[in-house]
Amino acid sequence: MAAPRIWGLWSFCCRGWSRVLPGCRLPGLRSSWPRGPLGARPLSQEKRATETHFGFETVSEEEKGGKVYQVFESVAKKYDMMNDMMSLGIHRIWKDLLLWKMRPFPGTQLLDVAGGTGDIAFRFLNYVQAQHQRKEKRQLRAQQNLSWEEIAKKYQNEEDSLGGSHVMVCDINKEMLKIGKQKAHAQGYKAGLAWVLGDAEELPFDDDKFDVYTIAFGIRNVTHIDRALQEAHRVLKPGGRFLCLEFSQVNNPLVSRLYDVYSFQVIPVLGEVIAGDWKSYQYLVESIRQFPSQEEFKEMIEDAGFQKVTYENLTSGIVAIHSGFKL
Amino acid sequence: MPRGVCGRLASALRGTRAQPPAVAQRCVHLSVSRPSPDQSERTRKPPRAFDPALLEFLVCPLSKKPLRYEASTNELINEELGIAYPIIDGIPHMIPQAARMTRQNKQQEEMEQQ
Repeated sequence: MAAPRIWGLWSFCCRGWSRVLPGCRLPGLRSSWPRGPLGARPLSQEKRATETHFGFETVSEEEKGGKVYQVFESVAKKYDMMNDMMSLGIHRIWKDLLLWKMRPFPGTQLLDVAGGTGDIAFRFLNYVQAQHQRKEKRQLRAQQNLSWEEIAKKYQNEEDSLGGSHVMVCDINKEMLKIGKQKAHAQGYKAGLAWVLGDAEELPFDDDKFDVYTIAFGIRNVTHIDRALQEAHRVLKPGGRFLCLEFSQVNNPLVSRLYDVYSFQVIPVLGEVIAGDWKSYQYLVESIRQFPSQEEFKEMIEDAGFQKVTYENLTSGIVAIHSGFKL
Repeated sequence: MPRGVCGRLASALRGTRAQPPAVAQRCVHLSVSRPSPDQSERTRKPPRAFDPALLEFLVCPLSKKPLRYEASTNELINEELGIAYPIIDGIPHMIPQAARMTRQNKQQEEMEQQ
């Protein structure tokens, strides 16, 4: 990488940041768009009272929620398709990895926050159902010599194919939930699934309710991440697990350059061409840059009260899964 | 109206919970966008009615107290604070911006009658 000082000066000139913090992320080649607003670091040191970031813009905290809502309202219909296009289908693997890390067993109560279109929820249901079927298969092998009474009893006991598992999908955006519900209906998911419109910073759930809390690609859009983490801690049962799948800092310099080029030159163009919405996708890539690094986010999770907090980088750090336990 | 609701709620709750007013003023568009019920081409799946099993999990986001399901108006009511959260298309809208105050409506009705 180039000498950090020169890099720092250039970024100062380009965007007028008052100081360049160590480990600060600087997007690579952003020559084309003359965005000159100040960027305010939201949560850590430079906290002005009610200002936060919306991508690289500075907005008041009240505004941010509304603006984020508008972004997702406009992208909702093409959300899944754009995800496939932008990540070249890799987002499916990331979400699958999240589930494999979670390893839910039948009976798990999952809360999926910012899970609007239901990707995580559906994967969870599939996983739990597959586990249940495997368990039944194992039982069948042991039950080859049943008496007639036992067989008759089996017909009477209608077993829940999910084994008591349940997933609650909570999102603040109505459009995303609508799309999720339609998908659920189209793909035939009925049992064990519930949809709630709620705010991640003020969850409408009682304390100690859920076994697992997940938030996939949603927490960077929350205005007060610390509040969302505290709410997560509140609604989890003791022993419950917090899992967050989110874009993060790339650790490999070469990949970082390519990623920056791709993010700022390709993604908004794709957004414009396919979804007719440049600004939303510009916000998307900017918000990724504004999100804290893996270590910083880990500290925030620890501050909220979680223990044994770890993170795992996927795809050289483009995405990271943070995990913590409420003990 | 929701803004005023939220302001009053926020101040009412200050004794119980530290509630910054910023929460109340976000996401204005939600209260505006109550859509006509059937925008989609096909009919929604049968559980358009609310599943009362959800009541085990749901509480009022502001006071964290349990709610009562009112079938006639299809709302979830927090008696203590006098607010009702609507259920639209089977999805409970558990945000203060979407809620309406039940007591104030009664007071207004009484005033109109007088």
